Amino acid sequence: MQIEKKIEDGILTLKISGRLDTNTSPQLEAEIPQTDLSGIVFDLSGTEYMSSAGLRVLLGAQKRMIACGGSMRILSPNATVREVFDITGCSSIFTIE
Amino acid sequence: MKRRIAIFAAALGIYAAILTAVWEIGTRQAREKTEWQLDYGVIDFHDTVAGAIDTMLGHVARIAVRHIDHVQPMTMKRMSEGAKALDIDEVNIVNRNGEIIASNDPLCLGTVMAGDPVMDAFMALTNGTVATVSQPFRTSARNPGFRAKYLGAAFPGGDGFVQVGLDERRLAKMLPAVLGYIFDEWLFGKTGFYLCADVKTGRLISNPSRHRNEAATLEETGYDRSEASQYEIVLNGKEYGETFTQTLFGEKCYCRAFLYGEHVFVAALPEREYYDSRNEFAVVFGASLFVVIFGFAFFADRLFGYSQRLKRFYAAEEARLAKDFSIAKTIQSAALPAGECDSPYFMISAAMAPAREVGGDFYDHFPVDDTHEAFLVADVSGKGITAALYMMNAKTLIKEILQKCRDPAEAFTRANAELCANNKANMFLTAWVGVLDMETGVMTYVNAGHNPPLLVRAGADKPEFMREKSGCMLSFMDGVKYKSYSLQLASGDIVFLYTDGVTEAQDVQERFFGEDRLAAAVAEAPRTARAMCDAVRARVAEFADGAPPADDLTVLALEFKAAAEYSVCSFAPEQASIAKASAFVEEKLAEGECPQRVKTAIGIILDEILSNIVRHSKASGFEVDVEFTVSPRGVKVVFIDDGEPYDPLSHKDPDTTLSAADRPIGGLGILMVKKMADEVSYRRTRNRNFLTVFKNFGAPDGAAAQGDGK
Repeated sequence: MQIEKKIEDGILTLKISGRLDTNTSPQLEAEIPQTDLSGIVFDLSGTEYMSSAGLRVLLGAQKRMIACGGSMRILSPNATVREVFDITGCSSIFTIE
Repeated sequence: MKRRIAIFAAALGIYAAILTAVWEIGTRQAREKTEWQLDYGVIDFHDTVAGAIDTMLGHVARIAVRHIDHVQPMTMKRMSEGAKALDIDEVNIVNRNGEIIASNDPLCLGTVMAGDPVMDAFMALTNGTVATVSQPFRTSARNPGFRAKYLGAAFPGGDGFVQVGLDERRLAKMLPAVLGYIFDEWLFGKTGFYLCADVKTGRLISNPSRHRNEAATLEETGYDRSEASQYEIVLNGKEYGETFTQTLFGEKCYCRAFLYGEHVFVAALPEREYYDSRNEFAVVFGASLFVVIFGFAFFADRLFGYSQRLKRFYAAEEARLAKDFSIAKTIQSAALPAGECDSPYFMISAAMAPAREVGGDFYDHFPVDDTHEAFLVADVSGKGITAALYMMNAKTLIKEILQKCRDPAEAFTRANAELCANNKANMFLTAWVGVLDMETGVMTYVNAGHNPPLLVRAGADKPEFMREKSGCMLSFMDGVKYKSYSLQLASGDIVFLYTDGVTEAQDVQERFFGEDRLAAAVAEAPRTARAMCDAVRARVAEFADGAPPADDLTVLALEFKAAAEYSVCSFAPEQASIAKASAFVEEKLAEGECPQRVKTAIGIILDEILSNIVRHSKASGFEVDVEFTVSPRGVKVVFIDDGEPYDPLSHKDPDTTLSAADRPIGGLGILMVKKMADEVSYRRTRNRNFLTVFKNFGAPDGAAAQGDGK
């Protein structure tokens, strides 16, 4: 997994390529700062698939954003990842674009 | 039609042959009787006529002897007067020397008889021993124009004799008087009659009374002298003439004729006398024979007809039965599982060849549960439909019970009770069942009176019979409890089951194939289940060499494959192992032409499950198996760990409708596994957790994996 990270106007954008699974999700978790952000964007266009470990990271980020009044968006998940969102009911929680 | 013609032609031939033979015999008998009767008739006729003449002449001569008193010369006048008185043609007085010393014929005087070739016979009268001497008609010695019959009567003391002679020409006048028409009424046999006629004039002297008015002459009777005269002979006491045929009074007669004086005498026997009886017999016999022979032919024909109709009927019945049996065979074959079953853990190959269209043998193999496979062979007593029906019942029952209770001994005990309770036909079966634990290679087995199977160890040269103490046959005795044995199989070991159709197969000399040949065939066979079955069947067929099988023949070989041959990998229970296991599985999936969609799903599933194991199980290690399945096409991944008993499927699914704030972070992994896999199952055995996930390949890669890589 590779993560491209950039911050613009207080919005953190993380572009994730490869697999987001038990092995790699701690890396992603580490990229998410504990400080307040106005927003966070996960670009999943390069994500092959995501396991519940990845989902857990996303769910944690979502909770953080709700707590600090920021927003979170998920961009371009592939069919597999979208299926995972659907299965777990996360489609209704996340803002997916 | 040909058959009918043949039968009746044969009957006609036999009929004609018998009738001809009977006719021939009848004819011969009729001829013999006719000859015999004619012999009798002609002798009787002749002797009566000749006897009458002799008697008459004898009287005349003896009267003359009494009147003349002694030998003395007498005048011709007196002699002539005497002859006239006696109504005789010639009378002579002959002295002791044979000289005629007195006669009514002057020519005769002085004739000396002694030494004369014809007359010397009379000299017997002079020695005092003979009273009369008679001679047949002959020409007179002194007068060639005179034919007469002579008779002499001796004077007392043999002093001399008187000779009297009867002119042949006068016989005609005398005969009616002498014979007194007695022959008119005389018959010989039943219908034989006599005719007597003057040779010269043909006038009849004797004529059967019933034909008197029909003929006055011999010619008028139908007698043809021009033809018959050759048969008319003078009887001499030795021959009685030859039989000839004439048509007399319009009727064919067999005749004999003789001449006496100037007369012809005919004894005639109408043909009907004897030939009629032959004809009558022939008609009656012929008719009876006709009825018998043609009646027989008729029944024979009908019988052949029936037998052919029967033959046709049986042929049709046979064809119908064959069809029924072939349908039954199809049904029975369909009831048996596939002859081959290849699994990662074992390979089964089996075959059943019924002696008839359907048989009482069967084999079966089926999973008892995820890790146990049952396999068995059985032989129902008897063959044919009854055995086949019973076999279907027994097979279903055993399978049902075994799948319920899993333990083969218990299963047989229960199946036996069930079969005994419902055994109206008094049938029974021998069976051998084995249950293989696919993971451990331990085989538990029970024998119910069946032939001992062969165990072929992977490294061993020779197979060994598994001769543990057998239980009783199934359905034989109620309340029997069966005992099981167990055996550890190693990779490559083969268990070979068979029925007595193998060991009791016979060759043309009726020798049995036997266990020794079976053991040899198994030992020589290649060490795979299928090759072993094929080899044994080939050996049996070779041995039988065309002799028809007496019994159904079944073989089943189970080959155990060790788990090591599978894509199993052991991992340490740490985070890093997940990537290694993932790489291992990916590699395997790549080998199996797995669709991308499935690879992705398996990747997620693997990540979820292994992270759980690593984090929570406290296992000392874990394994991952990958198996590809054929039907349905898919992949099975088995996760095995020796951690704490944990059935992830027992968890309640998390509430996915909660808002992000209320959602617990964990618990989604198992949900994802369940949702993404097509089948998930869990079991705990040998202190291990087994989680099996199946993913169906489904539709070809593409449609379902459209979004990949976006």
